[in-house]
Amino acid sequence: MTGAAHNGAAKERPLEYGAQSDKGCVRENNEDSYCVVPEMKLFVLSDGMGGLECGEVASRIAVDTVVEHCHRAEANSSLPLTGSRIDGVSDVTNRLASAVCVANSMVHRAAQEIALDRAMGATVVAVRFVAERMSLAHVGDSRVYRLRDDDLEQLTHDHSFVAEEMRRGRMTAQEAGSSQLQNVLVRALGIDPAVEVDVSEELIVESDTVLLCSDGLTRELSDDQISAVLSEHEEAQEAADCLVGLAKQAGGGDNITAIVIRLAPKPVGALRRIGRLRKWFKTSA
Amino acid sequence: MSKLVLKFGHSVLKEVPVAENEVSIGRSPENGIVIDNPAVSHFHARVFNEEGRLMLEDFGSLNGTFVNGQRVKMVTLKAGDAVGIGKHTIVVSESRDLDGFATGNGNGKPAGAAPKLNETVMLDTKERREFLQRIAAVGESAQVAPARLRVPTLVVRGGRTDQREYTLNDKLTVIGKSAMATVKLKGWFVPKAAAQINRRDDQSYYIGAADKVPSVNSKPISQPTKLSSGDVIEVAGVRLEFVYRD
Repeated sequence: MTGAAHNGAAKERPLEYGAQSDKGCVRENNEDSYCVVPEMKLFVLSDGMGGLECGEVASRIAVDTVVEHCHRAEANSSLPLTGSRIDGVSDVTNRLASAVCVANSMVHRAAQEIALDRAMGATVVAVRFVAERMSLAHVGDSRVYRLRDDDLEQLTHDHSFVAEEMRRGRMTAQEAGSSQLQNVLVRALGIDPAVEVDVSEELIVESDTVLLCSDGLTRELSDDQISAVLSEHEEAQEAADCLVGLAKQAGGGDNITAIVIRLAPKPVGALRRIGRLRKWFKTSA
Repeated sequence: MSKLVLKFGHSVLKEVPVAENEVSIGRSPENGIVIDNPAVSHFHARVFNEEGRLMLEDFGSLNGTFVNGQRVKMVTLKAGDAVGIGKHTIVVSESRDLDGFATGNGNGKPAGAAPKLNETVMLDTKERREFLQRIAAVGESAQVAPARLRVPTLVVRGGRTDQREYTLNDKLTVIGKSAMATVKLKGWFVPKAAAQINRRDDQSYYIGAADKVPSVNSKPISQPTKLSSGDVIEVAGVRLEFVYRD
């Protein structure tokens, strides 16, 4: 698209981000995969399942396929969408959903080839930033959170048995939290030839921090702990390292992956310096 | 010695040995086998040994205890029997593994090799299809409920905007000066993104804070707030009424 320069893309604020992944303290391998594509402001995270190498393979295929499909669409804007077009969301969001559909087929195909008696599959969350809009597509129980002014909001809902039961009012949050069925998914990539992808769009403002994570993080840390870490650390990489470190300390029962994203700090101009001084006076008064 | 194997679909959740002790089953955490589901009574049933026979007794539970599909009050169990409680199944099996004995009261975790509970698994194909259909059915009935077609609309009641009325077609609606804003605010000092409205999966609309904290019916919101027809939103000098148009 030659018109790109006119729509303000050149003025877009860069992002600051950090990512960390660890196999935890119990598992022998890391079945989580992730990829950060700075030039597209694209972030993808996947948690594989199926044990042995299957989980690793599934999550790697999922992440690579999403990235590749988005790359191909960048190069060729007439690349058809896989899966049906979703109304009420932007082209970028539709492209992300399409990429997740392709990833589903690829994981499914791999699963058929390896042909095991157990399910090989993967979760996926993919987010992409264009101006102040964040596009989001996901399947499974990996999550996206947004911290805005000390409020941590989960932007995805888990496709797990307990989450669906909660949404239908058949289980309380407390029951879900102590349930033995927390690890049972109702939707994942690679299980069926086609998959339903959840998409949404979110506004990103100055103070926002976005977190992508696998369930290994959220099983170990509370919302309050996550909020505290995200607001304490100015550097996104430090925040990601700290989250994964804390989840390991708390037991590290599963693989842990965290990607932390926020708008890069504005170049400090004269007006902003005055603003900072004012803030300083206020807090020290 | 017998043991009870708690299963959900094909997934084994827990194994509990039954020796001289009795094993109680229910939703309450004091039970030997805890089934955490609203369809299960707090103290639902028990399995115990009587004169060398393994017995199952239902404590008059609301939703019943089933053995091989038959609702029961008190029966003798044999190896291979499947006890149905809620969506879970407890299979009776003969165990030669005497290590399991060590737990004594059958209340703690079995000492034998417990299944790996942390591993993420998929609901079985058949169960998953049925489950997803049930969810879809619930979603549909919720959408059918309002008999007429409702068009979510913001009507401007005060302040400077580029239109008098906005139809909410998108999953995300931004109120502010930003290029991506649907409700465009005019003026020098208005924020790029004052507030946002999200359509969630239940097809309801939620207003949330962005650069400003909006008020709904004169009360500042503390978290994303579901909008009902007639709600008045105030933010960054504009007043907007949310209505469902017929």
